[in-house]
Amino acid sequence: MGTSYVYRRDASRLFIALRENGKRYKIYVPTDSKPVIDNEEQEINFIDHIDSQYYFNFNGKQYNCELVSRDQNKILIKVNGVEYKFSMESIFSYIRHGMIDKDIKQINANNIASPMPGKIVDIFLTEGDLVNEGEPILSLEAMKMQNEITASCNGVIQKIHVVSGQSVMKDELLVEVNAIDV
Amino acid sequence: MKKKLLIANRGEIAIRIIRSAHKLGITSVVLLSDKEPDALYLKYANEVIHAYDANDDKAIFLNAAKIVELAVANQIDLVHPGYGFLSENPDFAALCEQNGLNFIGPSPELIRNMGIKTIAKKMAIETGLPLVPGSDGAVVDAEVAKKFADSIGYPVILKASAGGGGRGMRIVEKAESMERLFKSAYDEAVNAFGNGDIFIEKYLQNPKHLEFQILGDKHGNVIHLGERECSLQRKHQKVVEEAPSASITTEMRNTMGEMAVKFAKAIGYFSVGTIEYIMDEDGSFYFMEMNTRIQVEHPVTEMVTGVDLIDWQIKVALGEELTLKQEDIKINGWAIECRINTEDPQNRFSPQIGFIEKIHFPRGKGIRIETGVQNGSVVTPYFDSMIAKIIVSADNREEVISKTLKALDEFNLVGLKSTAPFCRLVLQDPEFVSARYTTRWVDQNYTPEMLENDNEEMIGALAATIIYAKEHLQIASNSTVYDDDSLNVWVLNKRIN
Repeated sequence: MGTSYVYRRDASRLFIALRENGKRYKIYVPTDSKPVIDNEEQEINFIDHIDSQYYFNFNGKQYNCELVSRDQNKILIKVNGVEYKFSMESIFSYIRHGMIDKDIKQINANNIASPMPGKIVDIFLTEGDLVNEGEPILSLEAMKMQNEITASCNGVIQKIHVVSGQSVMKDELLVEVNAIDV
Repeated sequence: MKKKLLIANRGEIAIRIIRSAHKLGITSVVLLSDKEPDALYLKYANEVIHAYDANDDKAIFLNAAKIVELAVANQIDLVHPGYGFLSENPDFAALCEQNGLNFIGPSPELIRNMGIKTIAKKMAIETGLPLVPGSDGAVVDAEVAKKFADSIGYPVILKASAGGGGRGMRIVEKAESMERLFKSAYDEAVNAFGNGDIFIEKYLQNPKHLEFQILGDKHGNVIHLGERECSLQRKHQKVVEEAPSASITTEMRNTMGEMAVKFAKAIGYFSVGTIEYIMDEDGSFYFMEMNTRIQVEHPVTEMVTGVDLIDWQIKVALGEELTLKQEDIKINGWAIECRINTEDPQNRFSPQIGFIEKIHFPRGKGIRIETGVQNGSVVTPYFDSMIAKIIVSADNREEVISKTLKALDEFNLVGLKSTAPFCRLVLQDPEFVSARYTTRWVDQNYTPEMLENDNEEMIGALAATIIYAKEHLQIASNSTVYDDDSLNVWVLNKRIN
C-alpha cells in the first residue's frame, strides 16, 4: 500500500502488462529511480540494451530479455530462453476499458466534491498526475481555516474542475479521480 | 607424408574430430555441403572439399558412394564417420575398405551384426549378458502368452516381430486383459505389416538407461571407461547425460563393465563402442544393444576419466596398441552434459529454424563447450537440431549440478529458442537431484508451464513495458522528454554505478 509516486507523478508512465494466463503487472517506468511494479519499487538493475535485447540484474541474477514479436499492443518477450506474452495498455486505456462495466457509485466515490462552501487556495496536482490515497490534492479555505482535501484512493487525476482562487459550493465537484488499483 | 583424415560429418563433432586430428599431426579434411555452405566446422579444417550436393537427392553426409569417390580423388587415408549419418552403416564402412580407405570404426561385419537386433542379442546370450526376459520367438496365441507372462510376471509388453513405431505394441498389466490386448496387437500387426507374429517381453515400468564406454584395439585389448547415465530422454532422444551414474554401486559398475568387456572381446570388437543396458527399479540390468560409433555424450566420460576417446579411436584405427590398462582407468569427480537443441520446449519441442543472432557460452574451469555454430550461423531444416553441448565437471554430483545450472544461466541464445531452459528445469527437479529419474521422466512429469518462473515473468513484463512505453510515449506526447535517453535515465544511472 505504501506506494509513493511523489517523485514520479506522471501517470503516462504507468502501464499494465496483462499475461494470457490472467496475471497482471502494473508497472511504472521510471526516469530517475528503480521501476515500480505492483506498487513496489523493485531492485532491478538495467545492465544493457542492444537492439531488441534487454539485460537486467535482479537479486544477483542476470535476466536476458529478447523481443520476439510485436503485434500492436501484444508483445512476445523471451526471458532466459522462455517466452512470455503480454498485452500492454497505458493506464488511461486500461481505465477506459475497465470503466465500462464498473459501478457508477464507486466512480463517484473516488471523485472529490467540496465538503463545505469555501475558496480554492491552492491546487497541488495537475491533470494526468498520479495520486496516492490520503495524499493532498488541493487546499480549500473555509471559515478562515485552510483544509487539505485528500485523495480517497490511489489513482490518476482525470479532470480538475476548479482553479485557484475560485469559490465553490458545498458538494460541488472539484476533481475527478480514477482509481488505478482495480 | 602427413596422413589425411576425411570427416564425413558436420557440426560440433566435425570440429571435435579436427581437434584430435591436429593433435595427432594428421591433416583434417571436411566436406562442404551446399545445404550449409557457411558452416563453422569448415573454418577449422586444413582442407575443404566442395561436395556440390545441391542437386543430389541427399546431403553429402548420407551419400556413401560420393564420399568415397571424393576421398579417393583427394588422396584421403582415413575416414571418420562421426555419429549419425553413415556412422553405423556397414556398407559405407565396407566401401571405404574396398577403396583402400581406413574407416575409423570397427569392421563392417561387426557394425552389421550389432545393427541386427536378433544377432546382437544372440551374441549377448552366448557371452552371458542378461537380456530382458521374453519369449524366444513368437507366441502362438493369448493362452500361451498368458502362461509365459505368469512365469516372468506382469506387466509385460507384446511386440510385433515385424513392428516399429509403436504399432503392434501393447502393454499388458494383468492376466485378464491379455486376451483382448493380444488380439488387438495381432490385428494391428497383420494390418500394418502383413505379419501377425507377436513376441512377449517383461515390461520395465520405470527403467534407467545406463551405457558403458568400450575402447578396444586391433590386438585384442579391450577396456571399459565406466558408465554414463542417459535416463533423461524425450522420445528416445537423450537430453541430459551424466557420468558416472548415481544409480549403481562400485561393485555393479565393475560387474557391468566386465560383462561389457567380455562381450566386446568375444565378438572381436575394436575401436570405441558403447554397450547399452536398461536397468529396472530393483537394480537388475539387461543388455539392450551395442553402438559401434563415438556417441554424442562421449565428453562426460572424457571429463571423468581424462582419456581422449577420439584420439584413441584414431590411433587404434591406425593399428596402435592400447597402452591403457583397465586398472589405469579411474573415475574422478562427476560430469554432466546438456544438449542445446534448437527446439522449442514450450511447444512440443518443435524445431526452430533461422538465424542465430547471438550466442554466448559460459566459460570457466571445468566447463567444456562443443559447438558447431557461432554468431550469425544459420540453422537449416536439413540437419539435426543440436547446435551445442555444454559439458561441466566438478568434484561431486551436487557440485556439478549447481555448476551446470550456473553455466546454463550464463548461456544466452538470441534469435532462436532452445532446450537450455528445459535442461535447467531438469537439473532442478527433485527426481533428477535425487538421481531417481527414469526414462519416463518427461512423459510423467513434464509440462511446459514448469519452464516459467515468477521473477522471469515479472522482468519480462518490465521489458515489454519498456518496449511499449518507448513508442507509446513518443506518440502520445510528441515531445523530446520521452526520447530514448530520458526514458533510460534509470538505465544510464545504473551503468555508471
